[in-house]
Amino acid sequence: MYCVHTTALSHRFSASQQVLKEIELAVPTGSIYGFLGPNGAGKTTTLRLLLGLIKKQQGEILLFDQPLHLHRLQLLRQTGSMIEVPSLYGHLTAKENLLIWQKLYQCPKPHIAEALQIVGLADTGNKRVRQFSLGMKQRLSIATAILHQPALLILDEPTNGLDPYGIIEMRDLLKTLNTQHGITIVISSHLLAEIEKLVTHTGIISAGRIVFQGTLNELVSRQQSESQMILQTANNTEAAQIVKTFVSDVVINAQHISMPLLSKEKIAALHRALVQHKIDVYEMNAIKKELETIFMELINQTKHD
Amino acid sequence: MTNSFTNCLSAEWIKKRRSFSSWLVVVGACFIPLILTIMFLVYPKQILDLHHSGQFWRILQLRSWETMSIILLPMGIVLAVSLITQIEFKNNMWKQLHTAPVPFSSIYFSKLVLILLMLAQLFVLFNIATYVSVWIPALLNRDVPFPLYAINGTDVLKENGAYFIASLPLISLQFAISLQFKNFLVPIGAGLVLVVGGIIAHSWKYVYMLPPAYTALHFGEASGSTKHTDHNLTLWALGYFVVFVIIGYLLYVNRKEKG
Ligand SMILES: Nc1ncnc2c1ncn2[C@@H]1O[C@H](COP(=O)(O)OP(=O)(O)OP(=O)(O)O)[C@@H](O)[C@H]1O
Ligand SMILES: [Mg+2]
Repeated sequence: MYCVHTTALSHRFSASQQVLKEIELAVPTGSIYGFLGPNGAGKTTTLRLLLGLIKKQQGEILLFDQPLHLHRLQLLRQTGSMIEVPSLYGHLTAKENLLIWQKLYQCPKPHIAEALQIVGLADTGNKRVRQFSLGMKQRLSIATAILHQPALLILDEPTNGLDPYGIIEMRDLLKTLNTQHGITIVISSHLLAEIEKLVTHTGIISAGRIVFQGTLNELVSRQQSESQMILQTANNTEAAQIVKTFVSDVVINAQHISMPLLSKEKIAALHRALVQHKIDVYEMNAIKKELETIFMELINQTKHD
Repeated sequence: MTNSFTNCLSAEWIKKRRSFSSWLVVVGACFIPLILTIMFLVYPKQILDLHHSGQFWRILQLRSWETMSIILLPMGIVLAVSLITQIEFKNNMWKQLHTAPVPFSSIYFSKLVLILLMLAQLFVLFNIATYVSVWIPALLNRDVPFPLYAINGTDVLKENGAYFIASLPLISLQFAISLQFKNFLVPIGAGLVLVVGGIIAHSWKYVYMLPPAYTALHFGEASGSTKHTDHNLTLWALGYFVVFVIIGYLLYVNRKEKG
C-alpha cells in the first residue's frame, strides 16, 4: 500500500517552463523515502503540491489512498510538514508556537511538552524563537510537524544548516519516529550520502522528471552491475579466453582486460584458472562505482536530454 | 466550521502576544488622552473652560476624538492591519498555516475578527484614558474641580458605535490589500495614500463615497462643523464593509500559491 501516490503529476509556473513532468511518486506506507535531486529539480514544488500549497494543474495526488483535492482537511490532519526554511513565530516562545498548532490541530495539551522533549528543546523557557540558533529552529519545526502525531511526515531538506552532529541527531530522531511510531517519512535532500544511511526507498528527480525510484537495495545493485573489474596479465589474449568462460562481456585493451564486477566466488575461481594456465597476474582490480556517482550519472542523463 | 473558527481565533489571539500591533493598540489609545492631560496640567484654563461649558463630557469627547478620527485612527488602522498580516509573511508562516486542517474561511475570518476585537479594545482603552485624563489634573491641581457630572452612557456608546462602523470599510479594504503582498511597504504605502487622499478630499462633494474619510466625516457630523447629513454614512460604511470583505476573501482563497 502507498501512503503517497501521484500519477502523471505535471506543473508549470509559467507557460515557458514546465517544472514537473509526469511525476510518478510511490511512497510505501511505513517507509522512509528519500526524495533526491539537485537544485531546481522540482523537489520543493512536488512537496508543496502534495500539501495542497499550490494548485494542482495536471495529474492525480493520493494520500492514504484518497484524492487530496476531495479530502484536503481530513488528509492534512494526518500529515505533518516542514517546507524549506523553518516556519516559526519569532516573537513567541517555543511553547507558545506549539500552543498555536495545538489549537489548530485540536490535539491534547500534553503533546506540547512531549514534542519539545523529543526534539530536545524542553528547557528553552521564555526565550523568543527569534533568538534561537538555526539548529534549534529546525528542531522546533520538527516539533511542530510531529505535534499532532501524524501518520505521514513530509520534510523538505530538514538538515539544511545543521552541523554534522545535528545531522546525525536528526537522522536518529527520524529513524525513531519511523520505527517506534510507524510514521511514514518523505525527506528531500541534495545529497545521497546524507540520507543514504536513513532511507529505505529513494526517488531521484532531475529537471522535473523521476529518473529512478525504488528501494535503496535496488540502487545498490545497480551500483554493482555498473561496476567494473580490470585485469592485467603477462598474456592478455590468452587470459581473455579464460575470462570469457566466466563472463561474456569482456573488452581487451592494449594494457588490460576489463569486465563487469564478478562475485567473490567467481573472482577466486578466475584467479585459480589463470594460475593453472600459468599466466602471470600483474593486477586484478575492482573499480567500484560510488553510489554518489550513480546518482550523478542519473541526474546528468536527463540534463543532456 | 464554527468549531474550526474558534480554534483559529484562539490561535490568532496567541500570535498577537507581544506583537507590535498589540502595542500599537495601547499606545494609540493613550496618546491623545496623554496630550490632553499634559495640556490641562500646563494650561488649567483649558479644563476650567470645559467645566464652565455646562457640557463637560460632550465637549471632552469631541476634543479627544478630533485628532483621533481625522488622522490617528485611519493611520493606526492601516498600520495595525498591515502588521497583523505581516506576522505570517515575515515568519514564512503561510505555508505552515495552510497545511493545518482548517478551512481557508476560518483563517480569513478569524484574522478579521481579531482585528475588530483589537479595534474594540482600542476604543475601550481610549475612553478609559480620556476619562482618566480629566481626573489627573483635578487630583494634582487644587484649582481644578473634580468632573463629577453624570455621564450619558447611551451617548458614549452611540458615538463609539458610530466610529466603529465608520472604521469598518477602511479595515476591510486594508485587510484585503495587505493579505496580497509579502512586501510590507506595499500595503502600508497603499493605505497611506488612501488615508491622505481621504483627508485632502474632505470638502469634496463626493467625499461620502471615500471610505478612508468616514471617521473624519462622522466627527464633522458630531461636532456640527460639516454637514453631509443628506447621506446615511452608516449604510455606506456597512455596504462597503460587506463588499470589501467578500472581495478580500475571494482574492485570498483564489491565490494560486498558498505558501
Ligand atoms: N513560485 C515559483 N514561481 C516560478 N517558478 C518557480 C517557483 N517556485 C519554483 N519555481 C521554479 O521551479 C523549479 C523547481 O524549483 P524547486 O524549488 O521545486 O526546486 P528544488 O528541487 O526544491 O530545488 P532546491 O534543491 O534548490 O530546493 C525551479 O526552476 C524554480 O525556478
Ligand atoms: Mg527546495
